[in-house]
Order: sequence, then C-alpha cells, then structure tokens
Amino acid sequence: MSQPPVFILGGAQTDFSRNWSKENKHIVALMREAMLGALETTGMEPREVQTAHVGNFAAELYAHQGHLGAFVIDVDPALSGIPTSRHEAACASGSIAILAASAEIEAGRYDLAAVIGVEQMKTVDPATGGDFLGTAAWYEREAKGIEFPFPKLFGRLGDEYDKRYGLRDEHLAHIAAVNYSNARRNPLAQTRNWYMSESHASRQSRYNAVIGGRIKASDCSQVTDGAVAIFLASEKYAREYAKRSRVALDKIPRILGWGHRTAPVEFDTKMDESRDNPYVLPHTRRAILDAFARAGVSLEQISGIETHDCFTTSEYMAIDHFGITKPGESWKAVEEGVIEMGGAFPINPSGGLIGAGHPVGATGVRQMLDAFRQVTEAAGDYQVEAARKIATLNIGGSGTTSCAFVIGS
Amino acid sequence: MGVGAAELFAAGGYHVVMLAREREKAIDAIAEVQGLARAEAISEQIEPGSYDADLQRAVSGAAIVFEALAEDLALKRSFFERIDRYRAPDSIVATVSSGLSIAEMAQGRSPSFRQHFLGIHLFNPPHVIVGTEVIPHAETDPAVVERVVELLNKRLGRRLIEARDRPAFAGNRVAFKTMNEVAQLVPDYGVVFLDYLIGPHTGRAMAPLATIDLVGWDVHEAIVNNVYTRARDEAHVLFKLPGYMKDGIAQGRLGDKTPAHGGFYRRTEKGVEILDTSSGKYHEAAAPKPIDFVEEMKVLHRVGRYRESLAVLKTARAAEADLARRVVLGYVSYALNRVGEVAETNGAIDTIMSYGFNWAPPSVLVDLLGAASIVELLKRYELKVPPIVERAAAENKKLYAGSVLDFGRTFVG
Repeated sequence: MSQPPVFILGGAQTDFSRNWSKENKHIVALMREAMLGALETTGMEPREVQTAHVGNFAAELYAHQGHLGAFVIDVDPALSGIPTSRHEAACASGSIAILAASAEIEAGRYDLAAVIGVEQMKTVDPATGGDFLGTAAWYEREAKGIEFPFPKLFGRLGDEYDKRYGLRDEHLAHIAAVNYSNARRNPLAQTRNWYMSESHASRQSRYNAVIGGRIKASDCSQVTDGAVAIFLASEKYAREYAKRSRVALDKIPRILGWGHRTAPVEFDTKMDESRDNPYVLPHTRRAILDAFARAGVSLEQISGIETHDCFTTSEYMAIDHFGITKPGESWKAVEEGVIEMGGAFPINPSGGLIGAGHPVGATGVRQMLDAFRQVTEAAGDYQVEAARKIATLNIGGSGTTSCAFVIGS
Repeated sequence: MGVGAAELFAAGGYHVVMLAREREKAIDAIAEVQGLARAEAISEQIEPGSYDADLQRAVSGAAIVFEALAEDLALKRSFFERIDRYRAPDSIVATVSSGLSIAEMAQGRSPSFRQHFLGIHLFNPPHVIVGTEVIPHAETDPAVVERVVELLNKRLGRRLIEARDRPAFAGNRVAFKTMNEVAQLVPDYGVVFLDYLIGPHTGRAMAPLATIDLVGWDVHEAIVNNVYTRARDEAHVLFKLPGYMKDGIAQGRLGDKTPAHGGFYRRTEKGVEILDTSSGKYHEAAAPKPIDFVEEMKVLHRVGRYRESLAVLKTARAAEADLARRVVLGYVSYALNRVGEVAETNGAIDTIMSYGFNWAPPSVLVDLLGAASIVELLKRYELKVPPIVERAAAENKKLYAGSVLDFGRTFVG
C-alpha cells in the first residue's frame, strides 16, 4: 500500500562538544536551542507547528526530569496547546519519535510535526552513566553490578563475528580512525579536534584502555549532551513551504522508506536465535531491507550511510547487514576503502556516533538531519559528492530495536 | 604554548619537529603533548631536537616554522634572524605572539621572509580553545594568508579571524580592557563581590578576576602595559595596571601558577582564600551575598532564556545593577568601537570573543537587548556609541550573523 509522502524541511543541531552541565543548564535549554535553531534555519514560525514528538532515552535518570514532550511548549507561547509526546527505545529513541511523527502525517492527522531528539548525559560520572545505559539491556540479567555493561555486550558482538567468521581488531581500529577523520570536517562533531590515528586505535595503552572485552576506548562512541530538532511535513504543507521558499517540491527531501524491527532484549537470546542465520542480527538486516523495499531502492542507489556505530563492532556489523559485503566479510569493505569518503558507500560522513558523538536520544534525529544535509548538498566539508539517497540505521540496546530510513528527493 | 601548538599541528596530520634549548626538554615536552592528545601514538609524528644541533636542518626542511618563544621582541627578532638564514623560500614563518607588533618582528628580515611572515595567535589551551587570530603585517603576501587560513580552518579546526597588527590584536585588546577595568575596581568593591556581580551570568565562562588568575598576573601585566604604551583610545586609563597588582607581581604573586603566593584567590588545604588588596593579605572566602537580579538572571540562563535574562539586567533597580551594566555595556561599546581598527567586521570580533574567550559576542548583547535600547543605555553611562550600533538602531537590524546555537554556550546559569 502506497503511503502519503513525508517531507523533511530541515532542522538544527546543537554543538555536540558542549557540556551543558558545565554551563549549568537544564535539559529544557537544550531543547529550546535546537528548536529555536530549527525554526530560524527553516524560516518557520512556532504557530505553524501542529504536533511535536520528543525522542529521549533516560532523562529521568540523567537529569531527574520526565515528561519531556511537555517541555516543547516552553520554547514559545505560540506552541501552547499542541499535542506532544515523548518516545523511548534506548539509543533508537530518536528514530522512534520520527516514526511516530511520520505516522501521524501519513494518517493525515497533522501537516507539520516537530521532532526533537535530546539527551543530557554529562550530569553524572562515567561509571554512573554506564550503569544508566545498562537499563537499555535487560538490566537485572545483563547489566546490574557490571561496570560499563554496553562495551562488554558490543565486545561480545565482535566475539560472535570472530567465532562465526573471524574478526581482526585492526579492522575495528580502521573503522575508528575513519570516523574520527570524518568528524574533523564536521563543525558540530564532539571529537572534531581530538587526536586519533589507526596506530593509536590499534594498541591498548594508558590512553587507550580496554573498557570491556575486546573494546578499547577508541572503539567507543562518546558520552555527550546534545539535541537535534527537525520538521516533518505532509505534501500539502511541503507544497506551501516550497512555494514560499522558492524551491521546487521535488527538491525537498522525503522519507522514502523506513524499517523498524525489534529483537529479543537479551544478547544471548539474540545470538541463539540467529545461530543458523548468515546475519548475526537478522532483525537489523530485516529493518534495512524493509526500508529499502518501501523506498523501492537497492543498495547500489544509496550514496552514503549514517549508521549506528556506538562501538566499532556495531559499524562492522552494519557493513554486511546493509549488504555492502557478504555476511562475515565486512573486513573487505574496510580494507578496500569502500566505507571512506570517496569510497563506493561512505559510512558516517558526519563522523557517526564515534566521531560526532552519541547523545543517546538525539542520535536518530541527528542521523536524519545529516541525511537531509547530504541530499540537499548542505553538508559543507563532509559533503558526499552527488549524494541523492542516504540510508540511516539507528539501534537501541544490543541490536534490539533497529530503525532504518532511506532519505532522498 | 609550544606544547599546545605541537599537539595541534600533529593532530592535524603534520610531521612536527619540536625544538627546545636542550633536546631533553623537547623530549619532556613531547610527553606533555601525549597527555594533551591523550594518545601515546602522537609522538610518532613529533621529532625532538635542540636549537643548537637541529635548527638549521629542521627549518630548512619545514613548510611552516612556528615560533613560541617568550613575549620578548628582541629575543624573537634575533631568533627570526637565524630562521631567515635557514628557511626554504616558500616556507611560512609564524609567531604565536599575543600582541607584539608583527611588523616590528619582521623588520630587517629578507623580502621573502617578510612576505611569508605573519602572526598565528592561539589561545591557551589550544586543543580546547579553538578561537584563533591570523595577523598579517603590511608586507605579508595575501596568498600566504590564504594558505594559512585554509590550513587552520580545514586541518586544525580553528575558528578563525583575521586581526589587524595593532597592540594585543583583537581578542586580547577587547577582553583585557574589561578584565583590567574589573581589577581596577577591586580596592573599592572586593574580589568576591566583583566576580559574583560580573560573573558567568553576564556572558562569560569564567568570572573576570578568576580569569586573570588563570592567565597569570605577569601575562596580564604584559598585555595591558603593551596596549597602555602603544595605543590611545577612549579606554586608555582602563589599561593602567592597578598598583596593588604591580606590587603583587614584584612579590611573585602571579595567580594560579604560583599557588603559594596566590592571585586574587589562593587555594590552601583549608579552602579558598581571598586577597585583600589594602593589606596584601589573604582572608577566608565568604560566599557572596546573593543579589536578586543576579540570581534571576542565572535561573533564566539555566532554562535557555537569554533574551529575558538580559532584560532583567537592563531594568534591574538595585544599586549594584548600575555597576554591572556599566561594565557589560563598556565591553559592548569598546568592542564594537574597534570595528575597522582591530578587525574588519563586528563578526570577526564576535567570533574571537566567543571562541577565544567564551564570552558572549558583543553583537549578541546588542541584538538581545535591542540596538535602540543599547544606544540609550550607552548614552546614560556616557560610553561611546559605536557607529555600527547606531546604524543597527536606525535601520532596526540585527548585528549578529549566527543563531542561538552559536552563542547559547556563552551564557552560563
């Protein structure tokens, strides 16, 4: 069944290198700045927004604040009264908010939706934050009493690849180096001025400690604070917007396809379930294929990918799950430069979660904004040449909730 | 600064030869670079050496020679004489000076040296503070400036402005005027009160006197003396180093870098002590007495309501508010009256104040308070109205080119 199109009108992102706790800011300040920035960038008025969806993982834990949907209203008095809600699916929270907003537009309920992804994480020390992140797994079974449970879980994803197909850590180090290198060109990336090299990422050292299993610090995305706001619109609204912005409607990007699948929460159950499957995370693979099918595209038509590299192992997984290589052969794409800028399928031109930063609830929305920037040739120094269609993959938990999108015009 | 600069260039992918008086000192410095980069592997890109043994070889093979000696014109000039002898014809020579005359440093050098010479003023620590000034002198080849701008922007992630070769360039000229103005007020109002009243809520990451302690009283002295001696403008008297600071420096009181002697603050095992400028002694720090309008501004910043916060500053009736307004408006007036003198545009001054000092850009303060209001306030406080603000008021135009996403971080709750 053909769905009505959902257009992306643009948005804004906070600088992911900022520490909002050092600025002594409440989480509402993050939401305000992202939303005001998005309004200014798109030239829209607050009164035009008809509905708002917030993606957030754990503000109750990190910022002792719930009911985030309601805080959208605080941005401007003209928003008072609009329906709002907050969505949570661990690190995929932002994508779930996008799905909810786009479903409302497809259903014809509203013509213009704001989606805000937000997370404030630098409020606590790393060990406490690691424990909070553990609630994205089955906490009592996989995280309780374990220091930094998620690096360990994604280390085990690497171990599973190693067991099934073989995995060399040098390929993970290369993935880290590529993401950091891309991030240097992204003016909003958290690590844009950090030092990284393949040599550093390859070795365990004082400054590159093992965090869990085969995961070293250089394999990890970074905890940070951030918010991203985008506007999604119906065709009716997009037509008006195109007219007043003096752009052709077909130049305004849209969500061409989406995929959304959920696997069992526990990592061991996932691995048991996929034992005889060529894909280690088959539900993630299906989410990607669903997005491609709904968009009516094949991988060859994709100009670049913004994927969920919470750890280098998750990007390694994404490479074969997107179909860039056969299952278990992601290393070939790494070695051949396929995933680098200028390669056949540049992955994370923004720097991804490792380079750009991973404020959990904001990540899915950030990926979509970066995809929008790519297909509108507005990505500046990290622009993929002639980008027409960009795919995204956003994952919650240890490969539990998978959301994929294809964005293009 | 040599360590920070080495880290910056190595992290940007350059091979760096780091020279010091003795090779061992360069080796120690490389360990510091590893600490800044949080990576041992950065040393693979850095080669240690000494001026005596390695200068000629290193300079003759270098694309960029980056000088980070002490702020001493004679010392720098004698160093550049040697560089001039050894450098490759196309190589760029840069000084990290924070305010000495670029033209005077190049005086007497070969035409090629003079064409390839300019200032690259980094702010400490450069791996954290991205604001940077590029300062050509009259003879610098524009193509050299272009090359330097490109590499600093694209490879080293700098937020760059081109500043004029004027005393203290742009950022230090504007910031140290305000900081010295506050330092001059200390005998009348005290350290705690001033750092509270002109604190982060007025659009700065750190209170002014704490900032002077951080940069060092000796560095502060060098900068304000340089401007006081070499520049004449409406704020001339505000660059005069307070007598108590001159005396303190003579006694070794240089701020955070001399923990035993202290600065405005002295940290002891018992806690933080405060300098009493009348006696030169320290006493136990007492929390500042809260002032309603200050607390109200902080609450508004915390929730991202910067315009509303400045409206509170504008209308506050408390006696202290007059002093706060005078200092904040003095900053706006001084900064924007320097347009065309220390930098071409207000945008350049905004960038360096924001990314070099983490201060709210002066144009943002104008926009948030309203240009017409600012004109009226400046007149009330007998501060010089910048022509650019007058124009903005007349034409009802915004001055700041960015958005809240660019300046929000400069307002602290």
